[in-house]
Amino acid sequence: MLKVIAACGSGMGSSQIIKMKIEKIFKKLGISVQIHHSSVSEAKNLASNYDVVFCSEALKGNFANAAANGTIVIGLKNLLSEQEIEQKIIENVVNKK
Amino acid sequence: MFKELLEKKRYSFHDGFESWEEAIAAACKPLIEDGAVLEDYVDLIIKNVKEYGPYIVIAPDICIPHAQEGRGVNETAVCLMKTKKPVHFSDSPEHDARLFFVLASTDNSIHLQNLSELVEYLSDESMVKKLLEAESVEDIKALI
Repeated sequence: MLKVIAACGSGMGSSQIIKMKIEKIFKKLGISVQIHHSSVSEAKNLASNYDVVFCSEALKGNFANAAANGTIVIGLKNLLSEQEIEQKIIENVVNKK
Repeated sequence: MFKELLEKKRYSFHDGFESWEEAIAAACKPLIEDGAVLEDYVDLIIKNVKEYGPYIVIAPDICIPHAQEGRGVNETAVCLMKTKKPVHFSDSPEHDARLFFVLASTDNSIHLQNLSELVEYLSDESMVKKLLEAESVEDIKALI
């Protein structure tokens, strides 16, 4: 079970949109996941407990520490593009296993 | 979500704005006028963007201004704003927006319903194209 967290500035907008979208793509790819969502300030402290962090490209810099500790950090340019999400999951998660 | 937005007249149409801050204030205006959010909500959104960057531009041309749940908010609501000219959130055209959906939430389950309806509409590229061409509420009504 892959542990995933979606983060955004407030925890109620884009992180929930990311959660909806990645749930769909992980299901399509047959990867079982547990997805949480939260604000960046909370997620920053929790990120190292997760396998993958998803956030907007603009927020990626907040997770440099977690990335240095081996957490995969994926920044999305277009949160609504399932194509971008799928491509980035394949590139960063599937091919890294 | 769209039904309520239309019924409660939570929409506005504009030519453009000099700054993204003005655009956020204008986008929130119908919600302030009907009491769904307090005037502070505008400042909270602006503060968030200044702190974290233009992440509320979630896709090309689409912006979802919002702050935290329950702060400066009286009611869970969505409010639409459409501009003719793009509003710039940074020097990069990636952060230009013309279609705004202000999100306000006091109740996460209603908010999530609103959000999933919104995401469904916005995931349809031909729908987004039509929304971007809308210049009046009649144009929006014809799409929903």
